[in-house]
Amino acid sequence: MRHPLAALLLLIAGLPLLVTGALALGALFDAGAWQALAQEPQWPRALALSLWTGLASTALAWWATRALLAQAFVQQRLARLLRGLPAMLATPHAAFAIGLAFLLAPSGWVLRALSPWLTGFDFPPPWPTTQDPWGLGLIAALVLKEIPFLLWTAATQLQRDDVRQRWQAEHALAQTLGYAPRQAFDRVVWPQLAPRLTGPLVAVLAYGLTVVDMALVLGPASPPTLAVLAWQWLQDADPATNAQGAAAGGVLAFAVGVSVALWRAGQALAARHTRRGSGARGRTPAAGPVHGSRGAWLLVAVYAAVLLALAVGSVAGVWPFPALWPDTLTLQAWASVWASRGTVLTTLGLAVASAALALAWSVAWLEAAPRRWDAALRPLLYAPLVLPAVLWVVGLYSLALWLRLEGRWPALLLAHTLMALPYVLLALAPAYTGFDPRYRAISDSLGRSRAHFLLRIKWPLLRRALAASAAVGFAVSVAQYLPTLYLGAGRWATVTTEAVTLAAGAQRSLTSAYAGLQFVLPVLGFALAAWVGRPRRFTVAPT
Amino acid sequence: MTLSVHLDTLGSAQRTLLRDLRLAVPPGAVLTLMGPSGSGKSSLLAAIAGTLASVAEGAQALRFKGRIHLNGVDLTHTPTAQRSIGLLFQDPLLFAHLTVAENLLFAVPPGPRAQRQAAVQQALADADLTGYGERDPATLSGGQRARVALMRALLAQPRALLLDEPFSRLDAALRDQFRAFVFEHIRARGIPAVLVTHDRADIADPARVLELPHAG
Repeated sequence: MRHPLAALLLLIAGLPLLVTGALALGALFDAGAWQALAQEPQWPRALALSLWTGLASTALAWWATRALLAQAFVQQRLARLLRGLPAMLATPHAAFAIGLAFLLAPSGWVLRALSPWLTGFDFPPPWPTTQDPWGLGLIAALVLKEIPFLLWTAATQLQRDDVRQRWQAEHALAQTLGYAPRQAFDRVVWPQLAPRLTGPLVAVLAYGLTVVDMALVLGPASPPTLAVLAWQWLQDADPATNAQGAAAGGVLAFAVGVSVALWRAGQALAARHTRRGSGARGRTPAAGPVHGSRGAWLLVAVYAAVLLALAVGSVAGVWPFPALWPDTLTLQAWASVWASRGTVLTTLGLAVASAALALAWSVAWLEAAPRRWDAALRPLLYAPLVLPAVLWVVGLYSLALWLRLEGRWPALLLAHTLMALPYVLLALAPAYTGFDPRYRAISDSLGRSRAHFLLRIKWPLLRRALAASAAVGFAVSVAQYLPTLYLGAGRWATVTTEAVTLAAGAQRSLTSAYAGLQFVLPVLGFALAAWVGRPRRFTVAPT
Repeated sequence: MTLSVHLDTLGSAQRTLLRDLRLAVPPGAVLTLMGPSGSGKSSLLAAIAGTLASVAEGAQALRFKGRIHLNGVDLTHTPTAQRSIGLLFQDPLLFAHLTVAENLLFAVPPGPRAQRQAAVQQALADADLTGYGERDPATLSGGQRARVALMRALLAQPRALLLDEPFSRLDAALRDQFRAFVFEHIRARGIPAVLVTHDRADIADPARVLELPHAG
């Protein structure tokens, strides 16, 4: 064995991943479950809703990302577009859905702002603006949440100096051939960028088709999406119903596979069309002051409104309908959060431990594993990102049962660490593998040991990337809903499970408080990471 | 202290870069290696330094077959950290999180604190950089950074020095200065050195030039 450490690491992470995946897929070989599912009248409609919300949200997010990028690229304002991204990315899906629900609800800020002067309402209308049967609220939330993610992954490509310079040159060249700036972007830059976003796009599509926590808050209720239906069945006391839930998870996995294949076929067709082109040059906008990107502002405004709604909601006391501001403010909700501070401690403990484990594993792996091994492992690592969560937790639960850990803290830690691992590795790998190998050669040639090199040179130089990827792991753990509830057997509450559970009830202030915490904790994590990773301040200023 | 390389083959499984090469560099002399891009110049340096693994990372693994002797001692299988062979690259590669003095201190072998500090101060003085010790390396000029990089390599008390196009990033005037500075230090130390370059003006000793052929 030429790489004993790498082999050991592979075993540590690969085995639970493989076993979980195998157990999850194994649950699908249950003929009874499939028969039960076939007789269940709700699921075809639920599947249709899942496909509709997943595909529509992905298509809209993809289109909006392209439009925002085109505008920013043409106007050379990419850096400005990306400034607000970190906070948007740090906003957990569930917290965003809850905040958006409060905005859109019949008693939410949107209608309050328009009442009674425009609408004439003195009472909240009985409209199904959240949990609408068409899934429009869910689609809106998904689109708004996925745009920052797609923008960010595109930005990591566009911000590489070599790539950006070449594309800018090609973009300019296309304009010398008479193409309008936007046309030149569509014909030259986007076709090169889009294929590089396939991975993130598959993740977005899979997420949209299988999301549970957002759908519980904003999605249609009767029938719900298939993921929510499967989740309800999984929580049933009857094992036969549980098996039916796993089978529904299998249907979802299949739906994801088919959707990805269809999407890629459609994209290939569109790409062929673009390559041939009509030769139309597009219209060059008249010279003059370029207007700022309204789309980007809208995105920022929605996020700000959502966070403000959570903040105000958490301290709102009496708040009669058309009033824009609560009559009384109260800290009652925060007092009850404080009273059950064990919830916050559980969240923090799990997040710190799983982020630390995932980071330690990722560093050791990137340090010890040959590149070929790393490339081979990646598809397995991404399984938790692409497999429907409702199916994944079935495998995790079987694994926990087998280890006799169900309902216990180590089971939660295992689940959170496995979920955090791919994200941490994804966040760390570019900086870590991009580290100039000549530093190692220099350190070696100066007679220093490998440990000395790692502790004194490499890790200090990579401090920023290490801290940032730990914060990513922390944020992923905080946001976990399904694994926490399912593996904890309902015995462990985190801010996320509390927020989503409370969202179904009427306690606006307490829900807002937990959803707010769900946002605040990862943001604190990222802030701490930024502080830890800040560049060294040298005492002697340049003269 | 003579550096001698007895190379049978150097290359990947698919492609042999170099074969059947002998070279011997006496103390204080600089052998200049020239040749077209991809002829294996830098890989040869990496083989001598024992850093082939880091060069080939990601691409095809490079294998070296042959022997490397320094002062009669076979170093072929000695880890880089124990070879006492210094390296200088195109870029100065100063560690960005350390001050100039800390960069130099990193290279000084263990010993009494005061003695190590004194070695650093002496090196700063030799490089005409007295008083620059506490500076952020990023605030130095290109020529100053290059001198620090050389001083760092020398502070580890190498018994041979390998120079991988160390002058190519400097502009013409600086280049002449720094070249003279490097050669002077090599002569003063009496250690053998191998220099890889594209530029005939860099040749240290016209009697010691090795032109590598196209890889084939």
